[in-house]
Amino acid sequence: MATPTLTPTDLGTRISTLAEAAPEKHRRGLWRSRTTSVLRHTVVIIACLLMIYPLLWMLGSSFKPTEEIFRDLSIVPRHWDFSNYSTGWNSLTYQFGKYMLNSAAIVMGCLLGNLVSCSMAAYAFARLQFRGRRIWFAVMLVTIMLPIHVIIVPRYVMFQHLGWVNTFLPLIVPSLLATDAFFIFLMVQFFRGIPMELEEAARLDGCGHARIFLQVMLPLSVPALATTAIFTFIWTWNDFFSQLVFLTSDDVKSAPLALRMFLDSSSGSSWGPMFAMSVVTIIPIFLIFLFGQKYLVRGIATTGIK
Amino acid sequence: MSAITELRSMKRKRGTPATKTSTNLRRSDGKAAAVFLAPWFLGLVTVTLFPLVASLYLSFTKYDLLSSPQWVGFQNFVDLFHDERIWQSLKVTMLYVVTSVPLQLGVALLVAVLLNQGMKGLAFYRSVIYLPSLMGGSVAIAILWREIFGEEGLLNKFLALFGIHGTGWVSNPDTALWTIVLLHVWTFGSPMIIFLAGLRQIPDMYYEASQLDGASRWRQFRSITLPLLSPIIFFNLVMQVITAFQAFTQAYVVSGGTGGPSDSTLFYTLYLYQEGFSNLHMGYASAMAWVLVLIILALTGLNFWLSKFWVFYGD
Amino acid sequence: MSISTSRRARSVGLLTVLALAATGLAGCAATHDNGSSGGGGGDKVTIKFAWWGSDSRVESTQKIIDAFEASHSNIHVEPVSMTWDDYFEKLNVMAAGDDMPDVVTQDDRYLTEYASRGLLADLASTDVDTSKIDQSVLDVGTIDGKLYGIASGINVHAVVADPEAFKAADVAMPDDTTWTWDDYSRIAAEVTKKSGGKVYGVQNYSFIEPVLEVYARQHGEEMFTPDGKIGVSQDTVASWFQRSVDQIKSKAEPSASKATEVQGAGVDGSLPATGKGAMAWFWSNQLSALEKDSGHSLTLLRAPGDHDFSRTGEYIRAAMYYSVSAKSKHPKEAAELVDFMLNSQEAGDINLTDRGLPSNLDVRTAILPKLGDADKTSAKFIEDLTNDKVVVDSKPVPPKGSGEVSDITGRINSDVIFGKKSPQDAAKAWIDQVNKAIGQ
Repeated sequence: MATPTLTPTDLGTRISTLAEAAPEKHRRGLWRSRTTSVLRHTVVIIACLLMIYPLLWMLGSSFKPTEEIFRDLSIVPRHWDFSNYSTGWNSLTYQFGKYMLNSAAIVMGCLLGNLVSCSMAAYAFARLQFRGRRIWFAVMLVTIMLPIHVIIVPRYVMFQHLGWVNTFLPLIVPSLLATDAFFIFLMVQFFRGIPMELEEAARLDGCGHARIFLQVMLPLSVPALATTAIFTFIWTWNDFFSQLVFLTSDDVKSAPLALRMFLDSSSGSSWGPMFAMSVVTIIPIFLIFLFGQKYLVRGIATTGIK
Repeated sequence: MSAITELRSMKRKRGTPATKTSTNLRRSDGKAAAVFLAPWFLGLVTVTLFPLVASLYLSFTKYDLLSSPQWVGFQNFVDLFHDERIWQSLKVTMLYVVTSVPLQLGVALLVAVLLNQGMKGLAFYRSVIYLPSLMGGSVAIAILWREIFGEEGLLNKFLALFGIHGTGWVSNPDTALWTIVLLHVWTFGSPMIIFLAGLRQIPDMYYEASQLDGASRWRQFRSITLPLLSPIIFFNLVMQVITAFQAFTQAYVVSGGTGGPSDSTLFYTLYLYQEGFSNLHMGYASAMAWVLVLIILALTGLNFWLSKFWVFYGD
Repeated sequence: MSISTSRRARSVGLLTVLALAATGLAGCAATHDNGSSGGGGGDKVTIKFAWWGSDSRVESTQKIIDAFEASHSNIHVEPVSMTWDDYFEKLNVMAAGDDMPDVVTQDDRYLTEYASRGLLADLASTDVDTSKIDQSVLDVGTIDGKLYGIASGINVHAVVADPEAFKAADVAMPDDTTWTWDDYSRIAAEVTKKSGGKVYGVQNYSFIEPVLEVYARQHGEEMFTPDGKIGVSQDTVASWFQRSVDQIKSKAEPSASKATEVQGAGVDGSLPATGKGAMAWFWSNQLSALEKDSGHSLTLLRAPGDHDFSRTGEYIRAAMYYSVSAKSKHPKEAAELVDFMLNSQEAGDINLTDRGLPSNLDVRTAILPKLGDADKTSAKFIEDLTNDKVVVDSKPVPPKGSGEVSDITGRINSDVIFGKKSPQDAAKAWIDQVNKAIGQ
């Protein structure tokens, strides 16, 4: 992958080829680059260890018998207990996989919605001139500002009348209709950062808005689209409150709801299976992230437009 | 012209709405806009507007969820002013916003820039650094935070090495909020990802050109990265302020939903949630929500106004 | 720039998928709706049953439902299971949407809220058989003469004690038939001292209100009077908070911040569960969870101070209630389910004491031999309390708004133990805030 920025090594080489610098300077440049590189890796690794500690702890706890989790703070279990995984997978009404599939179905719907309808709206806000643009934009922002907790009750009443409660529709349809204004705003900001010249050229070639959108803006916005996709995936996968409100019966419950079934503050919780299934639910989002992040960095640098 | 001066001149032009010609070109966008905005507009009218208006109506009523709302006029708003806990929650939320937002964005930007430097193992680091954000609201965090910041937690064990006897950080009213601020900063993955995506959209040619000009890296950062990234920084700032005002999950998880100890982590939305769902004062909670909207709106407006002075768009 | 047809085809394809997805999901919605409304004229009636609990209760309740369906072939029960932390938030929203399940599990906190708004049916007018349930137990679910909830089972609030901790600290276990509140504080302080601070005497009791209830009753007061007003005096509340302050000072219990931490950790993180304390207040049916965590057997002690004041304090509490929605379309079938849960031995054998010590006396007697040690201990404990006339009467059902009391208590207690409020000021604040909550 091409590095877009200047590294100390490049600087060093450049300086030496300009033949103005003394050889010592060259050597110092090389030395400096190596130490900074080592230093940088050390800092990053320490930071990573700090960052990853919770996951390791959770992973460790998922192999501990429930009673040991609170008594022993170490990451490595004293008694390895693999039964948390089989208990967790099987002890709810359905196998845990069923809840993961439900979550996946909701995520797919939201993903589609956010990618298609939010990018369309964002294009309009970023690039089209129309009456009341600023006002509509403000309206869109206001919809982000109202806390979900007061919207959810009227929404529940509405979906209840439509007979949609206890289905995935109340979770997916809003996404299909670009209600997640966060992503509209996100893409507006990205679209506005794309140089105008490309579109002007396309326009001169006789392209209409549909083609400019599909063939100029979207290909240039792969990082933004990838960001949207990854965030939608993660946030929907982890979302709990609206799923709690709209999903009632066990056959439609999502993974986060299922996870909570392991916990009951009034009569003691199955912490071990809860941690085990938490680990299981994190795996898909982690994989998605690992796999998806290469699109995040596929910016202008790699789409061939310079 | 060097890349930097070019950028400068572009930046100066920004005040005038792009160029005359392109504005004229785009006079006839109304129809296209209608098509592109159709799904959003439909969603606004059907899914969003009704709850929005309903919550506005409810804010003028006494509504307990279990029976029909009763109109009480401005009573809820009057009560708001006399509610000590509202002021406490506003204080907590404001403190949280002004500390956690700049801290988190600063860390996110710093790490994004560092990670954008073509290091070996970049993909791996990026994933690891993002991990905490994957589990930010998980119940596991509540326990973890207790393990780290509790009276016998890791932090105090570390401090004990220096002979310092720490308090129970999560459970002490004087320090509890700061552990949540820290939790927020720690999940800086999301803004970092957005920064990274933004960094990748900056064309290489600017850096190459400035390199030829012999610009230092700091100067490149200030003159190329910052201005070209400014729409994304602005986005992150606006969104983080909005979401920080609505911060809920982290406080909910860490305090077990109480906002304790002694209301020291009583975030505004947490209080709203308690009032609306646990204490069945949904009318009051709706009034609280609209007051919050006004506050956020004012700050977002301020943000947009300020953005004229520092955000730089390519158009 | 040329148009690539494949791209256009792809975008059209995308839109088709979108449309298909929407219609497909709508299809799902329709079938679900038919299933749950049950009004489709079929011979099978569907009723919804809502309860809270963790995975183990999900499993056992499903078994009970299966047994019920086997003997009532015309009824299908759709389970609505939630955790305690989310239960009422969700139920409140369902009620707001006029969508309350036919049979709901209720709690003290919200029974009056729901009953007073006409959302619950009077169970006395249904076919639910209450003949095997003690009148005093039926009383705790009766409001204004109407039976809005029947206790699934009962429990009492008592001191859980860890004999091993006492032994390790070389302190004798108190005689719980005679001990006073001062004995309680003294013994607790002794445990901390003699164990060298490794084990605390007792866990702070004033984050929630059940002990105050006991304390008030010992003073001849009630937290709430039958007509729904505060019945406890400010002095009583103040002296109750004062004990927490004193005990923190004497190190009988952990420091304020440690206490907050332990409280937040729930049953599993409590002092007796983690082997770090000799005593703590719990509901009797939590004993088995505590034993499981601690790894050895624990015991229950009666509330101290029954001889300090005018009368005894212990009261019987419904672990949870079964209620039927007033708006249920199938009240008869809903009542049948409640009857089955309460009175059938089959359900009793599966439930054991999971929903409290069964209120049906026949079922209770029959399950006793099947209980684990901890549950046997708590069953015997309750029986002795009744036989020894320690529990003399039931407390009135708390009024509307009383659900806020535990939050108010917890908040004010934090102020007290961190020294931000004196116990007197705290008591005044407590009375003021509770009055506001119950609308006085």
